[in-house]
Amino acid sequence: MKKVRLKDLAYARSGDKGDVSDIGLMAFNKENYEIIRREVTPERVKKHFKGMVKGDVKVYEMPNIECLEVVLYNALGGGATRTLRLDQTGKSMGQALLWMEVEVD
Amino acid sequence: MKKVRIGSGSAYWGDLLDPAVELVKKGNIKYIGFDHLAELTMAILQRIKTKDPTKGYIPDIIPWMKAILPDCAEKGIIPVSNAGGANPEAAGDEVVKLAKEMGLTGVKVGVVVGDDVFGKLDEMRAKGIKFKNLDTGEEDIDRIKDRIVAANAYVGADSIVDALKEGANVIVTGRASDNALYVGPLMHEFGWEFKEKYYDLIGAAITVGHIIECAECCTGGMSNMWKIAPRLWDIGFPIAEVSENGEAVISKIPGSGGVINEWTIKEHLIYEIHDPSNYLMPDGIADFTALKLEETGKDQVKVTNMRGKQRPSDLKLCIGYRDGYIGEGQVFFPWPDAFEKAKKAEETVRERLKKVKLDADEIRIDFIGVNTLHGEVAPEPTCELNEVGLRVVAKTKTKAEADKVRREVTHLWTLGAVGSSFGVPLPIRPVVSLWPTLIPREEIPTRAIIKEVK
Repeated sequence: MKKVRLKDLAYARSGDKGDVSDIGLMAFNKENYEIIRREVTPERVKKHFKGMVKGDVKVYEMPNIECLEVVLYNALGGGATRTLRLDQTGKSMGQALLWMEVEVD
Repeated sequence: MKKVRIGSGSAYWGDLLDPAVELVKKGNIKYIGFDHLAELTMAILQRIKTKDPTKGYIPDIIPWMKAILPDCAEKGIIPVSNAGGANPEAAGDEVVKLAKEMGLTGVKVGVVVGDDVFGKLDEMRAKGIKFKNLDTGEEDIDRIKDRIVAANAYVGADSIVDALKEGANVIVTGRASDNALYVGPLMHEFGWEFKEKYYDLIGAAITVGHIIECAECCTGGMSNMWKIAPRLWDIGFPIAEVSENGEAVISKIPGSGGVINEWTIKEHLIYEIHDPSNYLMPDGIADFTALKLEETGKDQVKVTNMRGKQRPSDLKLCIGYRDGYIGEGQVFFPWPDAFEKAKKAEETVRERLKKVKLDADEIRIDFIGVNTLHGEVAPEPTCELNEVGLRVVAKTKTKAEADKVRREVTHLWTLGAVGSSFGVPLPIRPVVSLWPTLIPREEIPTRAIIKEVK
């Protein structure tokens, strides 16, 4: 099994709604979409972010545009208006997810 | 087939003005939406209004309208703006005054009110409404009731449509959802109503509004396309050409900077949406999982097959409340041993904060250049760093406690290792926390007030 970082398979962009961080992952092609669909599970995402995500993780599929929506609850230090994070709105969270290692065939 | 061209003129309070002016002059558009509000903005505006009841709207609306109103009047373009913030009526009055000064007699300003329930919370609680916190699950606002500074519902397009029906040439709203600024004009133009046969079409309007409502964020701003996006200083804001059948083409003015392609549209489709098959907006629930994207030309993407469902029975209500202070300080260390110097300073400041008995709800220390953005995900540096900053920040109940953080970080200038460099002290910030909740739609009646320039 060969391992690569998500950075090699997809683009990411993230934003916030309160204390929830929303990350969109956009696969470069259909083949990569199938890989990220299989590999980017809520459990692995939560583990990847270590202590940063206090709540649940949900992953939604968008096969029509080969994207995943990864939703991290209680992940932004209480939300933009009160967080101690420099990145108050979690714009860098998507890029942090791109560090994640996944297995490719 | 009837088509309507609608542009996006602003993504936030303080956004660029020149691309909006360019859209009005050269975009061949009928409407232009201006979103200026974010979660924190309403609390800031409410505070301004408390001090001066004639203020509390986004002051940008005046220079913005001054720059575009003559062209809008000449070409029949209708600006739809939520710059009314916490005081839409006052903003409307100012726009009327400005239009009069500019000689634009006959212009009708439609003001949408009703989203602000700051003064009605007690009455609503007496009726038994609970305001359960959507983030924390707390059942009632008892704990924060004496510290509330703002309460605004995210309202939909109803009263925007009413104002347009009454012939408004400019629309100014309070906390209308960003999305409603686009859905309203499209519903009005195409005669779409909140009935089952229009759900997919309103879903299309919501989707199109979502794609363009953050202006430059779908034309190469905040983008994975940053390497190939040309002339970002001349960025073009987006235009949606929406057809009566619910299809749309997203483009920008030819020759403007930035880029529109499949990726810039995807980037915004996936932006801050939670569940893509249930994107909840006050005017409907859009489903993004069936739509199709097609690049139909340079800087042009066609969106088809958009879907929608009935609008939710509840509206989102955001209650802001005072919640202590944040004190922060930063100090920077140069090579050699920049990271090690910063680590030594971290130990020093932690001990100092203990010694001065800092009473904090939470303390955070970041190494700038190492882990400020990616936190625990950031790997250990594998090379010698030329400079590293230390950022110390704490949330406290009182201003005096927050000031301890600032003072102790300042001391690192002299207690820190050789070469430590200190910028300008950061001011203490008061915190407004948000309490997101739901409220039955019927509790938030909105209405449009028409003010004519005589």
